[in-house]
Amino acid sequence: MLALTMQPDLRGISPQGAVRQQALVNWQATGWPGPRVEAWRYTKLDKFVAREMQPATSVQSLDQPDIPVPEGAVILRFTNGILDRDCLGGLPVNVRASDLGDDEAALAQLQSIAPDNHPVSTLSLAAMTSGLLLDITGEVDTPIMMQFIGDDAGLSAHPVIMIRLASGAKAVMAEWHASHLALSAPLIGIELGAGARLDMAKIQAENDTNAHIAATGVVIGENAVLAGFTLSMGAQLARLETHVKMAGEGGDCQLSAVYLGSGNQHHDVTTYMDHAVGHCNSNQIIRGVLDDHARGVYQGKVHVAQDAQKTDGQQMSRALLLSRKAEADAKPELEIYADDVICAHGATVGELDDTQLFYLTSRGIPYTTARAMLIEAFLLDAIDTVENEVLNGLLRPAAEAWMAREAAKER
Amino acid sequence: MTALLEIRDLHASVGDKPILQGINLTINAGEVHAIMGPNGSGKSTMSYVLAGRDGYEVTGGDVLINGQSVLEMEPDERARAGMFLAFQYPVELPGVGGMSFLRAAVNARRIEAGEEEVDQLAFVKMVRAQATKLGISDDMLKRAVNVGFSGGEKKRYEILQMALLEPTIAVLDETDSGLDVDALKIVSDGVNFLRAPERAMVVITHYQRLLDHIVPDYVHILSKGKIRKSGGKELALEVEESGYAGIDDAA
Repeated sequence: MLALTMQPDLRGISPQGAVRQQALVNWQATGWPGPRVEAWRYTKLDKFVAREMQPATSVQSLDQPDIPVPEGAVILRFTNGILDRDCLGGLPVNVRASDLGDDEAALAQLQSIAPDNHPVSTLSLAAMTSGLLLDITGEVDTPIMMQFIGDDAGLSAHPVIMIRLASGAKAVMAEWHASHLALSAPLIGIELGAGARLDMAKIQAENDTNAHIAATGVVIGENAVLAGFTLSMGAQLARLETHVKMAGEGGDCQLSAVYLGSGNQHHDVTTYMDHAVGHCNSNQIIRGVLDDHARGVYQGKVHVAQDAQKTDGQQMSRALLLSRKAEADAKPELEIYADDVICAHGATVGELDDTQLFYLTSRGIPYTTARAMLIEAFLLDAIDTVENEVLNGLLRPAAEAWMAREAAKER
Repeated sequence: MTALLEIRDLHASVGDKPILQGINLTINAGEVHAIMGPNGSGKSTMSYVLAGRDGYEVTGGDVLINGQSVLEMEPDERARAGMFLAFQYPVELPGVGGMSFLRAAVNARRIEAGEEEVDQLAFVKMVRAQATKLGISDDMLKRAVNVGFSGGEKKRYEILQMALLEPTIAVLDETDSGLDVDALKIVSDGVNFLRAPERAMVVITHYQRLLDHIVPDYVHILSKGKIRKSGGKELALEVEESGYAGIDDAA
């Protein structure tokens, strides 16, 4: 593909600094993955890649978005991928915000932990619409909520965010995506120092014409904890890819996800869990519900290095198809080089259980309600693993609203 | 007087296989009828056909509640019209909380009847009162429906649902299976407590022992998809002594 015809149109872009300049060169050399790239075999980008778009350079004023905000939360708002810097004033003192674009070392660090060979790892570094570096120390008692909005179907958003928790730091963060753009391509790096804990939820509720292609890289230090959960329910095409490196013993990573698809939506949740050292736990509970012609993909690889003894790595994916035309693909993989580990994976795809539906309806419960109760049970099983009440309080109503819309559909 | 439940020459198939081959039965309010029969006689099929389960195809005849045919009604509509089936094998519903399940069922009935939905506090009281009688603990009520319940607990939970839903026609499918003597007593007491002039019960069982506890007004012997013999409660004892052999010829 010629660099000049590649989308987004980056001809007006002149990135600052060696890291971003190199990213632009790499992006122009590789671009979007073609149809034969194995990691993208279930998620073809050809239709989307032809869309005309260019990275946002300015912000239009938008109505207050209809996004729930946890009590006392600090909001960091990105419009068209551009951070409203006035928001930073609300951050607690132990959260230091700075411009990632000015920090070559932090950019290099982000590049080193971002998913390898992922188009957004290069594209969004090059086309960065806003760069934010958050350095967190101590215990942050207010939730930090990043809102991503925008309303221009000719634009792409490339927010790039590096979040670093110092040793022993604790924070609760949420990402809520509700844009109407051509493409949202957030690139996020997370580094957890020894004993740090980050509870994080991502809600992908983009407009249903949006493409959302996200790359997240995480490094988890000794005895540090990431409790991460993703709810992907918006966008026409969504691929949420997270690479985690367990880099210190005693680390713990929850990386669960729910995807909800209807219409012609395509949801892809891809994870790579690298147990580079031993004595770490990772657990992924993936649940998908697909209606109409929707398609869901889960690809999860757990890699256990030769010296990573006493690793506990679990992943379980279950998809529920509500329509004959819906499709789910799952590719769980274990790649284990150590010999003293507990690892398990599994994937199921199925429909609602007729016997369960009959049992509920035989009690007088209307069919649509019975169906909704079973779908809810299927999803809450995963969502209620989110212990943090603030995040659970964001995720649960969002999923319930989706289910209510589903239940109201004519059948 | 119109019968509460009337089954007229009912034929039904599962897949291509005819199971019920012309059942006739008239049940009036206040009566308890026992249906006995050997394995494969069509007892469970009959209970599923009455409840309206998918895959149990009625090929002839009719089922009427208060003179109205219910064959075109969905299972939930039949239930709200007063039908209740206590399952032989109650179904586990992982993730579906017991209390919200019970409340959804009770409220569905109330909405149908044009009554107000029961509020949560009043409902908890209502459930507790019934649960205590059936020896159902608070812990069991809090769990997901039937998940982790023993066989006996599941059967008691069925009777709890029956007590809360106050059906006019209760069909109990092999409620005694899997119960020890003590559990059988608890379940039977629960059922007997619900005997009422406005309610009819159909007790389906393989063995006579349940009928020592729930004493029926009428006993029918089902075999090869047809009722072969009907009589009073003494018919059950007859079966107990001489088995089902020879019943087929009696029709």
